[in-house]
Amino acid sequence: MRGQGHWSELLPEETLSRDEAQRVLRRLWRMLKPYYRSIFVATVLVVLQAAALLGGPALVGYAINNGLPHKHFKGDVGVLDRSVVAYLVLAFAGFVLGRLVTMRIARIGEDYLRMLRATLFRHLMGLSMGFFEREQTGRLVSRMTSDIDALQELISQGLVLMVQNVLLFVGAVIVIFVLSWQLALGVIVIVPPVYFASRWFRRVSNEAYLAVRDRIAVNMSTLQESLEGIRVVQAFAREGEYTQKFHGTNEDQYQANLRTVKISARYFPAVEFTGVLGTAVILGFGGFLVHRNLILIGTVAAFVLYLNNLFEPIQQLSQFYNVVQSAGAALQKVFNLLDTHASVVERPGAFDLPSGSLGIDVDHVSFSYTTDGETVLHDVNLSIAPGERVALVGPTGAGKSTLAKLMARFYDPVEGTVRVGGCDLRDVMLSSLHRRLCVVPQEGYLFAGSLRENVRIGRVTATDADIERALHALGLYERFAAFPEGIDTEVREGGSRLSAGERQLVSLARAALADPDILVLDEATSNLDPGTEHAVERALETLMVGRTVVVVAHRLSTAARADRIAVIDDGGLAELGTHDELVHAGGRYAALYESWVTRR
Amino acid sequence: MRQSVRPHRVWSWLGIMAGLGWTAARVSVPAIAGAAINQINGHGGHSLAFWVMVLLLAGVFQAIFTGLRRYAAFRLALRVETDLRMRLVAHLERLHFAFHDEAQTGQLMANANSDIMQVQNVVLLIPLTIASTLTMGAVIVLLVLRSPGLALFALGALPLLQISATLFSRRMFPIGLAQQDALAAYSGVVEESITGVRVVKGFGSEARQVARLDVEAERVYERSIAAAKLRAWFLPLIDLLPAMGLVGILWFGGHQVLTGHLNDGDIVAANFYVLMLIWPLRMLGMLLGQIPRAVAAAGRIHDVLITEPRIANAAHPVALPADGPGELRFEAVRFGYRRSAHPVLDGLDLVIDGGEAVALVGATASGKSTVARLVPRFYDVDAGVIRIDGVDVRDADLHEVRRAVGIVFEDTFLFTQSVRENIAFADPEAPLERVRWAARLAGADQFISDLPDGYETLVGQHGYTLSGGQRQRIAIARAVLADPRVLILDDATSSVDPSKEHEIRAALGEVMQGRTTLIIAHRPATIALADRVVLLDGGRVVVSGTHDELLRTNAAYRAVLARAEVDEITGITELNATAGD
Ligand SMILES: Nc1ncnc2c1ncn2[C@@H]1O[C@H](COP(=O)(O)OP(=O)(O)OP(=O)(O)O)[C@@H](O)[C@H]1O
Ligand SMILES: Nc1ncnc2c1ncn2[C@@H]1O[C@H](COP(=O)(O)OP(=O)(O)OP(=O)(O)O)[C@@H](O)[C@H]1O
Ligand SMILES: [Mg+2]
Ligand SMILES: [Mg+2]
Repeated sequence: MRGQGHWSELLPEETLSRDEAQRVLRRLWRMLKPYYRSIFVATVLVVLQAAALLGGPALVGYAINNGLPHKHFKGDVGVLDRSVVAYLVLAFAGFVLGRLVTMRIARIGEDYLRMLRATLFRHLMGLSMGFFEREQTGRLVSRMTSDIDALQELISQGLVLMVQNVLLFVGAVIVIFVLSWQLALGVIVIVPPVYFASRWFRRVSNEAYLAVRDRIAVNMSTLQESLEGIRVVQAFAREGEYTQKFHGTNEDQYQANLRTVKISARYFPAVEFTGVLGTAVILGFGGFLVHRNLILIGTVAAFVLYLNNLFEPIQQLSQFYNVVQSAGAALQKVFNLLDTHASVVERPGAFDLPSGSLGIDVDHVSFSYTTDGETVLHDVNLSIAPGERVALVGPTGAGKSTLAKLMARFYDPVEGTVRVGGCDLRDVMLSSLHRRLCVVPQEGYLFAGSLRENVRIGRVTATDADIERALHALGLYERFAAFPEGIDTEVREGGSRLSAGERQLVSLARAALADPDILVLDEATSNLDPGTEHAVERALETLMVGRTVVVVAHRLSTAARADRIAVIDDGGLAELGTHDELVHAGGRYAALYESWVTRR
Repeated sequence: MRQSVRPHRVWSWLGIMAGLGWTAARVSVPAIAGAAINQINGHGGHSLAFWVMVLLLAGVFQAIFTGLRRYAAFRLALRVETDLRMRLVAHLERLHFAFHDEAQTGQLMANANSDIMQVQNVVLLIPLTIASTLTMGAVIVLLVLRSPGLALFALGALPLLQISATLFSRRMFPIGLAQQDALAAYSGVVEESITGVRVVKGFGSEARQVARLDVEAERVYERSIAAAKLRAWFLPLIDLLPAMGLVGILWFGGHQVLTGHLNDGDIVAANFYVLMLIWPLRMLGMLLGQIPRAVAAAGRIHDVLITEPRIANAAHPVALPADGPGELRFEAVRFGYRRSAHPVLDGLDLVIDGGEAVALVGATASGKSTVARLVPRFYDVDAGVIRIDGVDVRDADLHEVRRAVGIVFEDTFLFTQSVRENIAFADPEAPLERVRWAARLAGADQFISDLPDGYETLVGQHGYTLSGGQRQRIAIARAVLADPRVLILDDATSSVDPSKEHEIRAALGEVMQGRTTLIIAHRPATIALADRVVLLDGGRVVVSGTHDELLRTNAAYRAVLARAEVDEITGITELNATAGD
C-alpha cells in the first residue's frame, strides 16, 4: 500500500550533460552560502593535512641522503634523528588535522542535508492537490529519500577525498620535480597510461554501472509489484509465472553486475602493472642518474614512496566519478521539485473566514484539469445555504468529485468563483479554510499506527478524551473498544487489519473530531452497510446540526435524505431540487430513482 | 550460506589459487626493488638492468593474477547473491496470506535487497581476505629473515591497524543501525504524508506533518554526526598507523645502516612492505566488522525461509470432479484472525447449489469478506469444512481450487501492465476477442475503447488514472476471463453508479449463467441478482430466503439494509407509483 514505488522510478537514468552539471553545481554552491566560512576553514585544514601527508617521503629521502652513508659520505646521526622526530611530528599533525577535517566536513554536509530535507518537505506540503494527483507517489518519495541519500554519499566522503586527492596529486608532482626534475620527467611518463586507462574505465564503468542500477530497479520493481499484488497473484494461481518472471530479471541483474566485474578485471591489472612499471622506471633511470652523480640514492627511495601519491588520486578520482554523477542527477531532480510552484497559493493579505455558519456559492464555474484538456465542469451555478444538506448525484465521470475538490480549493476554477461564507476562496487563508471545511474521501487513507492516532489526524490538538468523545458521538466507540487492544489497536499500513467498512468509519470519526462548519463527504460511506451508514449519518447530522453538508453518493437512499439534490451530468448541473420535487418533475433523477426503488 | 557457496566451489578455488599467485608476485616486488637499490648503492650483485627486467616480469604476473582473483571472487559472490535472492523470492510467492497481512512490503524488499547484499559482501571478502592474509604472512617472514628488528619496528604498529579497523566496524554497527532506523522513520513520515496527501490536505494537517518531519530529520542529523565522530577517529588513524611503521623503519633501519648492519635497499624494501600491508589489514578489519552485520542479515533472511507456507498442498491431492457444477458447502466453519479475541466466523453453515447465485448480506465487519477469502483457501478454517463439489478444499490441489474459484476483491489491485494484460491475467495467452468478451460482460468494453491506447493503455500504480468504478470493472473482467466454476464478487459494485447498474446487471446475469456465484453487496439492485439471500450475523448464517421475503419477515435484515427508514422517505413515491398503476 505504501509508496514503495521509487524502485521503478530509478529506471530512466539520465546522465547529466556538462552544462547541466555545471548549472546544478553552481546552484549547490549558492545554497552553501551560510557555510562559506566553514568551508574556507575546512579547505585550509585539508591543504595542511595534504602537506603533512606529503612531507613523509621527502623526509625519508632527506634522511637517507644527508644522514646515511654512501660513497664518500660517512653519515650523520643528528640528521637522521632530527628527520625521525620531524616525521613523527608530521604524522601526528596529519592525524589531528584529519580528525578536524572529517568532523568539520561532516557538520557542514549533514547540516546542509538536514536543511535540504526540511526545506524540500515544507515545499512539498505546500504544493497543491493537483500536483499530487499528477505525480507518482514513488517519484516524490524518492526525491526525499534516495536522491538525498545519493547526495549524502557525495558530501560525507566524496568531497573530502576528492579535494584531498587532487591536492595530493598536485603536491606530489611538485615535490618530485623539486627533488629531481630529471627523474620526475622519467616518472611522469607513466601518468598518461594511467590517466587514459582510468578515463576508459570511468566511461565504460559508468555505463555498466548505470546498467546495473537500471537492472536492479527493474528487478526490484518486479518484486515489489508481485508482493503488493500477492493476493491477486495467488488468487489466480500464478505464483509460478511470477517466480519465472523474477528469475529473468534477477539473472539480468547478475549479468549486468558481471559486466562491471569484467571491466574492472581488465582495469585493475593494467593499473597494478603500471605501478610496477613506475617502480622499474624509477630504479632503472634513477640508478642511471645516481651513477652519473646527478642525484643521491635517498632521492630514488623518496620517489618510490611518492609513486603511490601519483597513482592513488587518479584511480580514486575516476571511481568518484560515479558518485558525483549520480549525486548530480539526484540534485537536479531535487532542484526541479523545488522549482515547482504551487498552483493554489494564498494571496498576500488573505483573511480568515467569517465566524458562524457558512454557505457555499458556486458561481459560473468552469474547470479543466489541464490547460489544453477537455472542460470537466462548464458554467456550474449552485448555491448552498448555511446549514443546508445537499447531495450530488450523477454518472461516473460527471464531475461530482471535481466540484467537491473545488469547494475545498484543492484547485482554483478556470472561470467563475467559488465563495464560502460570501468570501472568494482565493482571498481566504488556506489554514482557515481547512480548519472550517473537511473533505472525507472514499479511500480514507489509514496511516500505520494505532486507531487512536489515526482519528487524531482530524484535529492534531485533540486530547484522548476528545477522541473518545468523537467516537462515542458517532456510536463507534463500543465497536472499536471491543477489539483486543481497543482503540489502541495497531491498524497496519493502509489499515489492512480492518474491514473495508471499518476503514471508512475511522475516516468519518476524523471528520467528527475535526468538527468543521462545512463537511464534504465524497462517497465516504460507500462500503458501509446501509444500516450502519444510516446510523452514522444520523449521528453526524446531530453532531453537525446547523452546519453545511455536501454528500456525493451513488446510493440514492443516501442522496434521498438530503435537503436538496443536485444532479450533475456531463460537467453541468442538470437538475436541482428536493427529492420530492425531482421525483415529481420526472427527469433524470426520477428515472434513476424509479429503477432504484423497483429493485428493492 | 555455506550451502549457497557449495555449488560454485570451482570459483572459490580458482579465486584462492589466483590469490596465491598474486601474493607471490606482489611480495617479490619490494624484494627486487631493495636488491636494485643496493645494486645502485654499489653493493654489487646482478646488474641493474637484470633487476629491472625481473621487476617487470613480476609486474606481469601480478597483473594477470589480480585480474583472475578479482574475477573469481566477484563472480562467486554475485552468483551466491543471485541464487539466494531467487530462493527467497520463490519462497515469498508461496507464503500464505496471513504472513503477508503482517509483513510489510518495505521490509520484505529490504530482505531481498540490502540484507542479501550484506551476505554477498562477506562472500566477496572471504577469498580476497585469504589472499591478503597470505600476503601478510609472506611479508612478515621476508622481513624477519631480512632483519628481525626491522620487522618489529616496521610491523609493530600494524596489528593496531587491524584491531582498530575491527573495533571501528564493531562500534559502527550499532551506530549504523541507529542511523538506518532514523532514516527509516524519516522516510516513513515522507511516505505516509505523500500517500495520504488527500487526508493531510483534507484536514489541513500539513503543519503537523512538517513538525514530525523536522523531528525525524533532526534525529537523522544527530545519528549521522555520531557516525562522523567515529569516522573522525578511524580515518586519520589508518593514515597514522602505517606512518608510525615508516618512522620506526627510518629510525631503526637508519641506525642499523650507520652501524653497517643493513643497507639502504633494506629500508626501501621495508617501506614498500608496510605500504603493501595497509590494504590487506584494512580489508581484514572490514571483514571482521562485516561479519556480525551479515550474520544479522542472514538471520532475517533465514527467518523468512524457514516460515513454512501454512497453506500447502495435500500430500495426495484429490482432484475436483471434472465438470462439477460448483456446489459450495460450508459445514460448521469456525475461523478467527490471529489477533482477534473472538472468532470472526463460528458455526457457519451454508450450502450453495451448483449454478445458484447467493447474496451474502451482513453488517460492516460481520465477516463477509472473510467468508469470501476462505473459499479459495487464502486461510484455512479453524474448525469445520469447506467443500467444493464435495471435496474438502484442503484435500484438493491448491492451484486447482484457486483456478476453480474466481474472486473480485473489495479493494481493486491492478498491475502496471496494459488493460489487456490485466484482464488476461489468468490466461496471458487469451486472444483479444476473449478479453473483449470478458470486458463486455463486466461493462468495461465501452470505456476501455475510449482510453488513449484502448486495450493497450497502461494502467496500475504508474499508469493511467482510472476512476474507482472503472477499476472495479476491470477486476470483474479479470475474474470473468478466468472462467471459474465459483465466482465471488466482494462488494464489487460499490463504485458503480446507478445508471450503469442496469447494464452491469444484465451483463452479470450472463456471466452467472452456469456458475455458482457468491455476491457480497449492500445495494438492493445488486442483491437482486441473486436467487437467494443469506444474512450473516454473529459469525453464522442467521436466515436465508429471497430478498422480498426477508424484507417482509426479518427485522435484522431490514436493519442492515436500513429499510425501515427508507420506507419512511419513499412512502410518498411508492404511494404515487401505486396510484399511477
Ligand atoms: N486529477 C485528474 N486529472 C485529470 N483528469 C481528471 C482528474 N480527476 C478526474 N479527472 C477527469 O475528470 C472527469 C470528472 O471526474 P470526477 O472525478 O469529478 O468524476 P465523478 O463524477 O466524481 O465520478 P465518479 O462517480 O466515478 O467518482 C473525469 O472524466 C475524469 O477522468
Ligand atoms: N487481516 C486481518 N487481520 C486481523 N483482523 C482482520 C483482518 N481482516 C479482517 N479482520 C477483522 O475481521 C472482522 C471481519 O472482517 P471482514 O473484512 O470479513 O468484514 P466484512 O463483513 O467484509 O466488512 P465490510 O462490509 O466492512 O467489508 C473485522 O472485525 C476485521 O477487523
Ligand atoms: Mg468521484
Ligand atoms: Mg468486506
